[in-house]
Amino acid sequence: MPEVLIADDSEFMRNLLREILEEDHQIVGEVENGVEAVETYKEENPDLVMMDIVMPIRDGIEATDEIKNTDPNANVIMCTSVGQEEKMKEAVKAGADGYITKPFQKPSVMEAIEDVVPS
Amino acid sequence: MKVDIQSLETFNQLAREGAEQATASMTQMTGIEADVEVTKMSLVDRKDLGEELGDRAFVGVQFDYEGELAGETVLVFGRACSASLVEALIGSADDEAMAKSGVKEIGNIMMSGFIDGWADYLETSIDHSPPTYIEGNGPAVLPDTTGSDDSDHVFVFKSRIEWVDESVEFYIYMLPEYDPLTSIMADHADTGDDAIPVDKLEVFNEMTRSGTEKAAENVTMMTGVETTAEVSQISFAPVTDVPKQVSNETYVGTVVEFTGLPSGYLMVLFDEVSAKNVAEAMMPIDVDGDGLTDQHKAAIEELGNIMTSGFVDGWANVLQTSVDHTPPRLVHDMGQAIIDPLAAQVGRQQEHAFIVDSTMRTDEIEFEAEIHALPNEQELREALDELLVDRVDETEADPEQIFQE
Repeated sequence: MPEVLIADDSEFMRNLLREILEEDHQIVGEVENGVEAVETYKEENPDLVMMDIVMPIRDGIEATDEIKNTDPNANVIMCTSVGQEEKMKEAVKAGADGYITKPFQKPSVMEAIEDVVPS
Repeated sequence: MKVDIQSLETFNQLAREGAEQATASMTQMTGIEADVEVTKMSLVDRKDLGEELGDRAFVGVQFDYEGELAGETVLVFGRACSASLVEALIGSADDEAMAKSGVKEIGNIMMSGFIDGWADYLETSIDHSPPTYIEGNGPAVLPDTTGSDDSDHVFVFKSRIEWVDESVEFYIYMLPEYDPLTSIMADHADTGDDAIPVDKLEVFNEMTRSGTEKAAENVTMMTGVETTAEVSQISFAPVTDVPKQVSNETYVGTVVEFTGLPSGYLMVLFDEVSAKNVAEAMMPIDVDGDGLTDQHKAAIEELGNIMTSGFVDGWANVLQTSVDHTPPRLVHDMGQAIIDPLAAQVGRQQEHAFIVDSTMRTDEIEFEAEIHALPNEQELREALDELLVDRVDETEADPEQIFQE
């Protein structure tokens, strides 16, 4: 099963994503900020990161940038409530591979994952 | 057409002084002590006018006025409040005709003082009609202003007056016609660095309504409960009055600070019953107990986060900028205690504030949410200056399109 790291400061959202993903994916970590996301990525080297943008300490765009600098083959999907065009462009510049806006339904999450990490 | 902040402050002050004069007249006639709680100038969609009146029964008086400033002024009391007033004035409210006459006379004296201040400031005379007795429930008690001029929006000067030691309040509305008012404001403006394009305030209000609709859509998606945006308005008031924009019941919600153009604070607030209902609608399992658990709070925190984004993303997309916000901070306190420290922060840089207010409701469960934003005045002004009116519908961005480019 593909390994997934979930980075979101909301416990509610981490639980929701875990419920959506755990049937077909192995959740290798759940973290609350961008610093932990980078550290856990380096430790676990997962196939995919589901990355929130607005997080304390370090936001998801900065964390994506660092992960992509460390591993250009990393797969990162931004999974955020932010629906701003400029933020989406920043995410592209940081190297994000996909972008889902909250609130979401399971099919849109699975579709975005399939686009980035085809089964 | 541009107005300056000083003019807005002056006009707001005129309305406040008018309300204080009217209240003093009432106290003199009846011996009933009352205080002007809030006076604010709001730009509202005509169909949202008087939303704060709920569906309660009101009686009052209405005047038409004309001159350099034209429009209507309305003073409305809750029914119980009017009976107390009439009793204080004439001893008994049993005689209906006499009671109506009493309300008209109190209203006449109170409102004459209100209008006179405006005439003095404008150095002109404002003629007003004799008072007309009005009664009705909620917004229906107010005059129908649709069709009175071209604009969908109306400026309203609104004062809420509360009786000392009583949970009774009444309202004064001044509803000037849009064009004469904006002309007067522009004539009195010193359109220097702090000028505000009035027409763009209207556009900003439309953007706010779109943001509220988006936030309501997000609630519907997360809870499965059909939720509709009810009201959105932008008001201008002294910073000291900002905490009174929120009632003193207990709220649960989130607060964020946003940075960008403009910066400021944004609150998403639910009363406790609504918070519990909406959180449970988001949860896949039933939660035991009556109170708010950590699970409820986590759900509210995430809902507040998503509603905040829904609300401000439209501003960012239309303005072609980005508005960042901090992670949401969960709050659970009396309304004024939540907003007070934020107003104090804003008040370090400005004496008056723009307040953006929205509400949303649903019929399916007991649920009501309020969104209040306190943007930095100077930055909002800059944002309005840069706002391209043609982009007003560009509130949503498509990630697929951006990622394909």
